[in-house]
Amino acid sequence: MARIEINHLTKQFGSLTALDSVALQLEKGQIVGLLGPNGSGKTTLLKIMNGLLTPTAGSVKINGMDPGVETKKVVAYLPDRNALPDYMNTKQLMDLYEDFFVDFNRSKAVKMVKDLGLDINQPMKKMSKGTKEKLQLCLVMARDAQVYLLDEPIGGVDPATRDYILRTIISNYNEDAVVIISTHLISDIESVLDDVVFLKEGRVVLHKQAEEIREETGESVDKLFREVFRC
Amino acid sequence: MLGKLLKYEIPALGRRLVPLYIGWIATAALLGLMVGPLQKESEFMIVISALLYTAAATAVVVMAVVMIIQRYNNSLLGDEAYFNQVLPVTASQHIASKTISAMLWVLLSMVAMAVTGIIIAMFSGHFLDIFKVNWLEFLSKVDWLTVILVLLVTVFGITQSVLQIYAAITIGRQAKQHTTLAAIGAYIGLMIAETFVGRGVTEVMSFKFYDVFNSIAGFRMTMLIALVVTIAIGVIYFFICNYLMEKKLNLN
Repeated sequence: MARIEINHLTKQFGSLTALDSVALQLEKGQIVGLLGPNGSGKTTLLKIMNGLLTPTAGSVKINGMDPGVETKKVVAYLPDRNALPDYMNTKQLMDLYEDFFVDFNRSKAVKMVKDLGLDINQPMKKMSKGTKEKLQLCLVMARDAQVYLLDEPIGGVDPATRDYILRTIISNYNEDAVVIISTHLISDIESVLDDVVFLKEGRVVLHKQAEEIREETGESVDKLFREVFRC
Repeated sequence: MLGKLLKYEIPALGRRLVPLYIGWIATAALLGLMVGPLQKESEFMIVISALLYTAAATAVVVMAVVMIIQRYNNSLLGDEAYFNQVLPVTASQHIASKTISAMLWVLLSMVAMAVTGIIIAMFSGHFLDIFKVNWLEFLSKVDWLTVILVLLVTVFGITQSVLQIYAAITIGRQAKQHTTLAAIGAYIGLMIAETFVGRGVTEVMSFKFYDVFNSIAGFRMTMLIALVVTIAIGVIYFFICNYLMEKKLNLN
């Protein structure tokens, strides 16, 4: 059984079709790049996988289950926006994660927070946008989850932090987990990707291993992306 | 998991309300002083302190209502929902935690009101008058069954009102745009439906059989019916919220 199975998944917002009969099977033990331009359906797909959107048709199965309480126990999700309560500080947020997620590794979180120079007692409302993003990522990546769904994890941070995040993702990689990274900053993450999914106007137009793409086309994933999505 | 949700939800509301309670009690002390020992100093100050006390009371009520609505809307259907809705808890646990927390703070606001009354009595120098009353005689004359029924109707009535607001917000969020307007429309719709149900039940069950104004038994029966209807309507609102959050959640 694949870790994630998506069948004929369709999502419509009124007359707009955000996802059009998407079908994917993603196995554990790999880092997947969910790549596509703005509005291609990447965020919509991740939100459905988290149960934050209800699909119009089709299904998503994680470990054979529909998104719900059981899947949320094993899925670590980084949304495309700051969602942490602004009245809490880092320590309180760690307490909360520890209370709700059995797989939360506090010592890993503390190390990441220190590495990134965050103040554990600083309230969220006094943090800059970039600092909030870093903290959110620390909390998500400090979980020993089976599925990581990262929506634009490197979009709003500086290059040094970007490198740290990618190193963290690689170091978190294990045989039992699948990491899905949604982004359009392909050149930055290409080196860590095992599998690549191109989404265009809500449809999967390519799903291949990164190495396979490079061998078959003689091009980098970034170059192929630019060709496929040329305006 | 409900206990864990409450552990974080109760302080989330309290962080705004507790400072207001403190301010309210301070204005009560000032009012007590002005109507008591300092009464002869200035009539103007009595008016000012009474206005301050009223303003503080209004601030508590307004803030309590705003926070109860805001906590539900932001944390379960707004940006914070991207954090809360991925916690491994059910929709019903989320709704229950918001409702219980709201109820607790409404009750604490009532307690704060009673405390301000005592503070006014203390600072005005009339506190000892409380002990002049023969409490044992007074308490022995109280019709406790009726008092308990009225209290239950009040508590469940407030809970039902909170759930009505939650249901209206959740229905409003189903709209593709203008969700606030849709929520207000849903609230008005629910109010009208509730009025019809209430009137129907009252006509059929209560006034036909009991002379409310002349009989204590009739009044008790009316309170009992009101309690049952209030709980039933509250349960319906809870299920509306739960169904929409579980089956039709669409965070934009």
